[in-house]
Amino acid sequence: MASKAILFLEGHKSETPSRFAEEAAWRKENASWLRWSRQLAIILIGYMQDNGLKRADLAARLGVSPQYVSKLLSGTENLSFKSIANIEEKLGITCLAMV
Amino acid sequence: MEFVRIIDGFDHLWAVKDQEKEADELTMLFRNWTNGEYLLDFFMENIEDLKRYFHIERLDVAVNDTFEDAEALQELVFEIPYTEHLDDLFKPLDITDASTHELSREKARNWNRGRHASWLRIYAIRLEPNVYVVTGGAIKLTRTMQEREHTALELQKLNRCKAFLRANGVFDQDSFVELTNE
Repeated sequence: MASKAILFLEGHKSETPSRFAEEAAWRKENASWLRWSRQLAIILIGYMQDNGLKRADLAARLGVSPQYVSKLLSGTENLSFKSIANIEEKLGITCLAMV
Repeated sequence: MEFVRIIDGFDHLWAVKDQEKEADELTMLFRNWTNGEYLLDFFMENIEDLKRYFHIERLDVAVNDTFEDAEALQELVFEIPYTEHLDDLFKPLDITDASTHELSREKARNWNRGRHASWLRIYAIRLEPNVYVVTGGAIKLTRTMQEREHTALELQKLNRCKAFLRANGVFDQDSFVELTNE
């Protein structure tokens, strides 16, 4: 039998269910490539700090929109090799280190 | 005030769902803590606290550590409800909460983090053993919650939720009357 506390929570339950479990499961399932995406974001954040750049400055150097820079910095974007090579070329940095 | 069950079929962990927000408090926390752009903005704004309390000057280091920590904390939250040991994850917020038996304010973090203490916090109200309602969370860089606006706000959210539960007669398990007896 549910306690009064649980019944109270049930009685005040939102119609919008939590997405935590679903999103956590997605992050776990996609952890291998998310690691690369996050690593790229970290490299770009370091590059911005070292060079005193804001998002707009980075966008200008890369020749992309500020919205695209937001995606890169989020660490959740599944990028192609071509996109990564373009970033490396434009900034003169290495993002993907092959073993 | 409305609530959501975090994992279907399990009664241990709940979160506050503000009608004006797209998602519940726990979901929002992990969306932010796994988003490099959000973290960059946060650490730029709080760089002095990062230097002063953690002796970290690099934004990339702070973001990387948060990514790692969020992943570890997510694992703890995601797995623990199944094992019914939430009381091992959450600790009383302060000494007054440690001595109270009803609706105590609690915090969870990755207690075993290497290199430096974890700055990620999940805040919750403990309704009864192993039953918690998450009210929010924060990247806490200072010693006390009152020192910064974003952590002071989380304290207000904790207190507001506690007051709501108390006003509605929700106390710890010992004072509950099961419906069958009513």
